[in-house]
Amino acid sequence: MKRKWLWGLIAVVVLLLVAAPAGLETSPYFMHIAIVAFFYAILASSWSLLAGYAGQFSFAHMAFMAIGAYAAGLFGKYVHLTNAPTGTCFELSLAKMWLVFGASCLELGKASMPAGTLIYRPPAPPGIVLGVIMGGIFGLLIGVLVLRLRRTYLALFTIGFSEIVRITLNAEIEVTGGPNGLELAPLFPNGIHLLGLYFSPTNKIPPYYVMLALFLGAMAFMYWLAGSRFGLFIRAIREDEEAAAALGVHIVRYKVLVFAITAMIAAAAGAVFAHYIGVITPNILLILQMSLVIAMAVIGGLETLIGAAIGAIIIEFALEFMRTSFNIGPLEIDMTTWRLVFFGLLLMLTLRFWNNGLIYPIIQRLTRGGITQETVAKRVVVTESAVEGTVEGQG
Amino acid sequence: MIELNVNDIKKNFGGLQALNGVTFQVRGPELVGLIGPNGAGKTTLTNILDGVIKASSGTVYLNGQRIDTMPPYHVARAGLGRTFQVTRAFRRMTVLENLLVPAMALHATASRRSLEKKAWEVLEFLTFEHLVNDYGRSLSGGQQKLLELGRLLMLDPDIIILDEPFAGVHPKLMERIYEYITTVNAQGKAFIIISHDMDTIFTLSQRLLVLNFGELIADGDPEVVRHDPAVVEAYLGEEEEAASPAMTETYLGRDKREDA
Repeated sequence: MKRKWLWGLIAVVVLLLVAAPAGLETSPYFMHIAIVAFFYAILASSWSLLAGYAGQFSFAHMAFMAIGAYAAGLFGKYVHLTNAPTGTCFELSLAKMWLVFGASCLELGKASMPAGTLIYRPPAPPGIVLGVIMGGIFGLLIGVLVLRLRRTYLALFTIGFSEIVRITLNAEIEVTGGPNGLELAPLFPNGIHLLGLYFSPTNKIPPYYVMLALFLGAMAFMYWLAGSRFGLFIRAIREDEEAAAALGVHIVRYKVLVFAITAMIAAAAGAVFAHYIGVITPNILLILQMSLVIAMAVIGGLETLIGAAIGAIIIEFALEFMRTSFNIGPLEIDMTTWRLVFFGLLLMLTLRFWNNGLIYPIIQRLTRGGITQETVAKRVVVTESAVEGTVEGQG
Repeated sequence: MIELNVNDIKKNFGGLQALNGVTFQVRGPELVGLIGPNGAGKTTLTNILDGVIKASSGTVYLNGQRIDTMPPYHVARAGLGRTFQVTRAFRRMTVLENLLVPAMALHATASRRSLEKKAWEVLEFLTFEHLVNDYGRSLSGGQQKLLELGRLLMLDPDIIILDEPFAGVHPKLMERIYEYITTVNAQGKAFIIISHDMDTIFTLSQRLLVLNFGELIADGDPEVVRHDPAVVEAYLGEEEEAASPAMTETYLGRDKREDA
């Protein structure tokens, strides 16, 4: 009964999210915040799977996100489609088109190409897929390297990796654009027709649905994983690696897998988000950004995927709405700065008083409330029967 | 037929010789006690049998399969299960989930429903049905020890190594752990039990191994081992040996020799 009710609630929330653009079409700003909130929700919930479920407290999550974003961006920068061979680049023939690799060689080849040759930027999806694959490869690599590291050492190692990625992206100006960032084509460069309506490339509704679909898809996938033997094993590893191994759990396989899977999810979010924003800079890798994701997961509840996601959405909206500065008498309160102080305070209070997060206890109540009552009732029965047994024995 | 062959196991930690040529066999569903003073190498030996640490030299075969080169998860699947000196229940997982971990690791293709059915049988055996949805952390120390034993039933190994199963346990729960061992042993499982509880280990064991400074100084019938001068000197002490007739009157209310 309780489960049906929970599924009903989830269905209503999903329907509201799907229908939201109908009421918010006139507020692109609100739509933008929603897209950003979904982006952070994917990151916070996937980090919750890694840190909360598997106990791998990694600071490399934003690095995986950036690897996805940059891989998609570099794919767009260095891979093109033409209807004539360049003769100067490495190229693959695809039906009547050529897939051309390289940017400067393409410039050189333009002079010798026939007049009227068309050069296209590739659509976003292949770049996004490449980003996900690259995220997975790096996740796998880091997963193998940190196999024997725990807690502080794991955190320090992943901070180091994240900084290496950030500095490399900053330094390789010719390839990545350095601090100026890397430009990406919009998700729908020519706009899109949906249900008979045309949406321009700058319209927020199509990217809203793309990010919402990615969010819901990622949540469904992660919940499926968490409920499977994979979820059971990574939680057992979190609790006690040695004991889990002694019970037959292949520790290496599941620790590496959880890194790779969560890295792929973060990379997917990064690649889609970068195409939506249109530019990605190494600043997304600042430790403050990673801290924001961690704080969102902690405030929502580290050990629950939906808690972390709701935490991320609430905090993203709250941080945006708190931007409005106000005056107290002659004193102007600049909320663009002070909002972060409030956020920090909320994090400190959560850690001090509600270390299971603010959302997790509510979810626990919804999903385990009946179980607790049931267990207490069963305990009473067991205790009573034991007492009766003792009395009979004495009698 | 269960067959564990431990051959000339040596283990050095830097300059320290933790184990020095330990050799013994377990054949069939034996109940073997492993005793020795602190630092004798009991836990090191257990960790080598389990695959947690590798021996410096020597071999371990379980049912004809070499297991000392295997990782722990593989050893567990090969048929050797263990508990730890300090209880290691998965504290933030429910009792049912604790039981499902080894079952799912062992039976990769079995349905969750069938494994849950098996878990319920174990819960009944442990009389833990009412705790099924409780978290490991909410159980008492003794209940957590029983839960660890339940997990081993789900793993269904041929040989079970119990490291201090009676330490810090309420006498009532001790009785249940004792019953667990004798019942599961009667079902054909071999046990190696490490304990400092002399009364219980002498009552329970069919055979006793004694380690001292990494060497096996005795291997045989508990009554013979009890009077072995080397064992008396190294571990039991004269007072303990003199008190031996009374030791069979354990507070478990059992006397194996009388039963026999």
